[in-house]
Amino acid sequence: MHTKMNQFGDRSMEIINFMENRLSGILKPIKPSKEFVHGVAARIQMGNRAALVERMTNWHVISMVIAGLISLAVFMAVVGGVLMSLLRKNRTA
Amino acid sequence: MYCRPSGKECKVPESEEQQILTQASQGDLDAFGVLYGRYVERIFNYVYYRTGNVHDAEDLTARVFYRALHHMHTYTDRGVPFSAWLYRIAHNLVANWHRDRSRHQEIPLSDVPTIHYKGEAPEAALIQTQERDSLLRMIRHLPAERQHLLILKFVEHMSNAEIGETMNRSEGAVKSLYHRTLLSLRDELGGFDLGE
Repeated sequence: MHTKMNQFGDRSMEIINFMENRLSGILKPIKPSKEFVHGVAARIQMGNRAALVERMTNWHVISMVIAGLISLAVFMAVVGGVLMSLLRKNRTA
Repeated sequence: MYCRPSGKECKVPESEEQQILTQASQGDLDAFGVLYGRYVERIFNYVYYRTGNVHDAEDLTARVFYRALHHMHTYTDRGVPFSAWLYRIAHNLVANWHRDRSRHQEIPLSDVPTIHYKGEAPEAALIQTQERDSLLRMIRHLPAERQHLLILKFVEHMSNAEIGETMNRSEGAVKSLYHRTLLSLRDELGGFDLGE
């Protein structure tokens, strides 16, 4: 029994060593390109400005959407009012 | 200073790292730039081996650091390395990336690190390339935690204790997970003649 356990352990260790050799051959450090590394570094240095611009862009879009919705609501109200007054005129006539 | 994966030269005194982290969390962009320099290669390697191509690895690595910069003011030292925080961000972005894609991308051969098989016949080299591709595919289908462990072990050359610190696990748990991962990978590789 003990020998069988040892054999099992030896076999596992053999497999582990074998896989370690294989993996060390394929999992190697890759260097990112210098352009990429420096490009991101530059954007990080501009972080505050970029974030501000992004926030302003967002506010710009949001305010345009709100203005659009208000315009649509006013337009619908005017059209509705005109239609209602036309209907009333038809009934009285 | 750019910290190489596995490079022992990127070991910096803990107090210095603490100081930089404090400055960065207070909005100091130069301090964050130092952290970026130290960790960009490690995060890039992690993302590269999780996604399988350089283009997405660059895109996601950049996003990891933009997100880190955006949330830096919320960072608090809980006794785990700063890299663990970055790896968690990277893990979440990679998970989203996989979710957004219906199929997993294969590694284009041009992206695989070049390995020279000196003196070998082209057929033997082809078999080795196929085996390598297939092993990389299998690794990318492992649970995220196991992939992370293999990357830290083989790319970063970290010890079990260091991996445990980064992955918030005990050294024994890391060792056990590592052995189980290698044995299961070997089982999956069964179809290949591995020269045993």
